[in-house]
Amino acid sequence: MNKEKFRSVLTGAVAGCQKDLEQILNFYMPLIDKNSYVNGRLDEDLKQYLMIHIALQIGKFPV
Amino acid sequence: MNHQQESEKDELRARFTGWLEVTLYRAKLNYLKKQDRERKTIYVDVLPEELLVEENSEWKWLHRLTEQSGFDFKEEKLERAFGSMTRQRQRILTMLFVEEKTPEEIARQLGCSQQNVYKQRSEALIALRNMLERGGEGNE
Repeated sequence: MNKEKFRSVLTGAVAGCQKDLEQILNFYMPLIDKNSYVNGRLDEDLKQYLMIHIALQIGKFPV
Repeated sequence: MNHQQESEKDELRARFTGWLEVTLYRAKLNYLKKQDRERKTIYVDVLPEELLVEENSEWKWLHRLTEQSGFDFKEEKLERAFGSMTRQRQRILTMLFVEEKTPEEIARQLGCSQQNVYKQRSEALIALRNMLERGGEGNE
């Protein structure tokens, strides 16, 4: 994803576009996965919680 | 190489990645704290009765925790009202007013929050008052 594409997708996600948000989530999935591990085990509930948290909080990011 | 240079210049992506890392880290901490709080507060009322009366050593601590103090009530009405309350509330009231323990000690002993002890006490007293007005009968 190049610079312009990233900017447009992020702007869309911040504005509330579901497709753009999905792209952002997919793009940052490794980071979400990394934070979803508890005591060396993947916590699926935590992963879902983090994804919902991003969806709720992304609107606050100043583009 | 060209791609690498391009991403190095992408200030927005770097800023967003940093923001996301912090947000995810904080969210994870909140989630784990919430889980920890929920795990510590076990309502005895939720457990099946047979677990509380079973003479299994594994559950003896729980039985001790919930057994009544066995003190005599002067008024039958009060005894009936007290008896119809949940075990958790009976235990909290006994510890507060008979054993004269502080809410902090009770919270530590029962493994719940101090806020929960205050809440249970206030609800138990209201329920007790209502039951006494009705003649000590009926569920809370």
